[in-house]
Amino acid sequence: MARVRKALTIMSICALALTACAKSDEPGAAPPPGQQQGPVKIGVSLPLTGDFSEPGKGIQEGYQVWADQVNAKGGLLGRKVELIFRDDASDPNRVSSDYESLITQDKVNLVFGPFSSRLVIPAAKVAESYDMLFVEPAGAAAEVFEQGFERLFYAAPAIASDHYDYLADYLTGLPADQRPKTAAYASLDDPFAQGTAYGLRDRLAAAGVKTVVDEVYPPETTDFAPIAAKIAAAEPDLVVGGTQFEDSVGLVRALQELKVQPKLAAFSTGPTLAEFPGAVKGAAEHILSPVGWSATATFTGNQAMVGRYRELFGGAANEDAANGYTVGQIVEAAVNAVKCVDAAKECQDKLTEHIRKSTFDTVVGPLSFDDKGRPEQAHMIQQYVGGKVEIVLPEQARTAELVYPKQDW
Amino acid sequence: MNLLLQGLALGVLTGGLYALLASGLSLYFGVMRVVMVAHPAFLFLAAYLTYTVHTTFGVDPFLALPLTVPAFFVLGVAVQRLLVARLAPDNLAMMSVLLTFGIALTIEGLLGTVYTGSYKSVSMDYATRSLTVGGVHLPYDKIIAFAVAGLTLAVLFAVLVKSRFGQALRATIQHREAARLVGVQTERVAGYGFGVGLATAAVGGTVLALITPFFPASHWVWIGKLMAIIVVGGLGSVVGAALAAIVLGVVEGLVLVTVDATWATMMFYVFLFLTLLARPQGFFGGRLAHRF
Amino acid sequence: MRTVSRGLALLLAALAIAYPWLAPNYYLVYAGALTVMYAAMSTSWNLLGGFTGYVSLGHSAFFGLGAYGTGLLVVRLDVPWAVALPVSALLVTAFAVGIGVAAVRVRGASFVIVSIALVSMMNLVVQGWRSLTGGSTGLQVPSPFPGLHRGETHMVFFYLFLALLGVALLTWRHVSRSRFGAGLRAIREDEDKAESLGVPTGAYKVAAFALSALFVALAGGLYALWFGSLDPIFVFSILIGSYMVLMSLLGGVRHLYGPLLGALIVAPAGEYFLIALGETQIHLTATGLVLVLVVLFMPDGILARFTRRRAGPSIPDESADQRLQGVAG
Repeated sequence: MARVRKALTIMSICALALTACAKSDEPGAAPPPGQQQGPVKIGVSLPLTGDFSEPGKGIQEGYQVWADQVNAKGGLLGRKVELIFRDDASDPNRVSSDYESLITQDKVNLVFGPFSSRLVIPAAKVAESYDMLFVEPAGAAAEVFEQGFERLFYAAPAIASDHYDYLADYLTGLPADQRPKTAAYASLDDPFAQGTAYGLRDRLAAAGVKTVVDEVYPPETTDFAPIAAKIAAAEPDLVVGGTQFEDSVGLVRALQELKVQPKLAAFSTGPTLAEFPGAVKGAAEHILSPVGWSATATFTGNQAMVGRYRELFGGAANEDAANGYTVGQIVEAAVNAVKCVDAAKECQDKLTEHIRKSTFDTVVGPLSFDDKGRPEQAHMIQQYVGGKVEIVLPEQARTAELVYPKQDW
Repeated sequence: MNLLLQGLALGVLTGGLYALLASGLSLYFGVMRVVMVAHPAFLFLAAYLTYTVHTTFGVDPFLALPLTVPAFFVLGVAVQRLLVARLAPDNLAMMSVLLTFGIALTIEGLLGTVYTGSYKSVSMDYATRSLTVGGVHLPYDKIIAFAVAGLTLAVLFAVLVKSRFGQALRATIQHREAARLVGVQTERVAGYGFGVGLATAAVGGTVLALITPFFPASHWVWIGKLMAIIVVGGLGSVVGAALAAIVLGVVEGLVLVTVDATWATMMFYVFLFLTLLARPQGFFGGRLAHRF
Repeated sequence: MRTVSRGLALLLAALAIAYPWLAPNYYLVYAGALTVMYAAMSTSWNLLGGFTGYVSLGHSAFFGLGAYGTGLLVVRLDVPWAVALPVSALLVTAFAVGIGVAAVRVRGASFVIVSIALVSMMNLVVQGWRSLTGGSTGLQVPSPFPGLHRGETHMVFFYLFLALLGVALLTWRHVSRSRFGAGLRAIREDEDKAESLGVPTGAYKVAAFALSALFVALAGGLYALWFGSLDPIFVFSILIGSYMVLMSLLGGVRHLYGPLLGALIVAPAGEYFLIALGETQIHLTATGLVLVLVVLFMPDGILARFTRRRAGPSIPDESADQRLQGVAG
């Protein structure tokens, strides 16, 4: 008993002594000396496992290609770049704790964003509260920009609801007798996927295209035949899917089986992935999809990125990788412009301010941001023509004519 | 009206597939009183193996079955003898759930490591066409799934009813102690029961690979649905589970075409709770639920 | 003996209270708060699981409902958080009574299935009811302490979770010494016999179910206020529910401090696996194998295996008949 009391006394003294000293990571504290030299550490949390692991991988590879190229050029401000990845297992608790530990424990100089609109908000909250710049490759849902974040920027051409803008322009610009009269929408219950489909829906509805089916399905859905049956019964001219990958494949197959033959079909995300044509075979022909990046574009660094990606990972780069790479390009340009790269508030403030004012040349084209961090450009529209992915809209980027109406699948 | 018929037809076809997928769960519960949370994970293990066979050799996915069915049978016996049989008999239900939960995580992790997290799919030409009967479209892949499920279940019932092993198995399911008293080697039979259950997972996985893209975490979606089916059918009753599967498949199909996908999935749980309130032992046999 | 054990408990409590000041950075405070949250939840899970032997894999349903209840009261009705938290927890408890009446009608396997179904159902409801909950967009809950910076908020919530853990532990101890607890233990040993001896098994089970839901809901409410953003697929997660079970089981379900010990091991171990093996999905396999090994070789938990003496109050290993006599007498 006496021993216990003694231990207690010692402990409380220790505790009291420690109360006096502040934590080393008090916001606004001077950056530790380690940040002024040595490698530039960049912290990233990505879903390498779980529901979002596939795009997570692409973004990780994009970051790696960027870091590889920066280091080949001599680094950021003459210092090597070192990426620190954490797996968030598609779990927001993990995302927060990852960024928390990257910032306060690993003392990273910069953070890059994670994947998925559902994980970006919790991650941005952490970065914001430690005054860190937060450029992210994947949080495109409208809600991300309504949280009052001051240091968040989305490194792609447009937010979700604007992805189909060019297609909406094209369709509403058609002569009245060719314009589709009816449209069916099926969307995954996900802020990004819904955002894309509803952006198009709202514009077409305003132009007088009647919405005949408007279906939302939860992420657990595996059977799309009944949804296709509903669409079949309505016989729409236009079918739009707010999809990710597996549901885009499921929907296309089910629509084929139920013999729905729309004049035009558009799906988000799925058709932009390399696995898509293999999964739906010939049905991919003439399917439209918004895409923020093209492998054939000649924007700053794009061909170098595609080539280096092939050397490092032995395949074709995809849009996720390009988005990751874009984040790197923007931050790199900002760092070179303001000549500092540490976690201190002044430096992060300068970087943020620079990004807000400037336009950046990236692999997805020139990018600039509004005061909420929304990019101000637009997504292109791609179409499978003759089995190949072609850019059909807008006119200045197009590699092939848009085929409308589409052939039967 | 046509839409309703279409929903009904799709529901019946999907229900047949559910019956196949749930039959293994009923067997495990019957022979061991074990809730096998890892069953869907094994389904997707089989789906991945089918994928590998299909892409490596370029053969029809069903040709993977001669490989996967025996392999899964052996695996099932091993799981029962080496893992499940070691659990303490008191509170077996609790421990078996946790054990098989661990197995499910293990499989998911291995699949993710070997195949990466990306989606895989097996596309056959016949998987996108359909048979049209009186304005109702019946997709060939679903017809095939239904037929394979029906065939597998028919073989399963034949084995259970006709063979000596089947009799021993049913005796073990009905009353383990009594079966042992009349000379049934219940331990061995339980092992084989597990093997048969997992063999159905091999078939089910191949069918799943044919009709839906999959990735390592796909199995979570199926756990709740399949569990609901075996409770509504009556735990431990293979016939009950098959009937419940068809009923729930039809209900799901009809709700899908009339309301939406959220409510369709919800129907599984609504039926589950209704069953518990009205008839906890299940609607189609099985007096086990109440006792275990 | 008793004083030593009490002294040990006091020492641990003192250490826990000092922890946020000892931690060298705010990440460790954050991780500590998360660990204490899990400890509080698995201790409350154990109010049901430990006494009655009913395994619920679905307690994350109550966690999520508590979180959404608190969040919605604060966001939609502008209720002060200190009111929203208990109100939401009580609503969840009432809900748990309703579910409990249906759920505890069945035993063992069926009960586990029901608990799994409950999580999926709540996920569907909250995700589908977009106009109220925000659906898949999630619900953003404003911080209750806007004046504090992030690190200070972690410290405040560390103590709030610690207080909840304390209350849960006291409740468990109190129940274990009560007639109610004896009745619950009788249910674990032999439910039919307990019933025939006059234990109101139905009412007892529902009460234990609801009590355990109450604390988990409180943890969920605190989580909502602390974390600030809720998303249905993440709060209604089978994995969160299974963590509560794994922690309790690893530490020892029959012991007061079992779940706490389990949480102290599992939460940091999970972090370690993720950092050491995080590049591939093999860390899932590692977690799975640990679970399999625990279930096979240490089903009674660490406390039962390594201390023959009892660490704190626990459920004694008396025979079922002795216990039933105790209840009947």
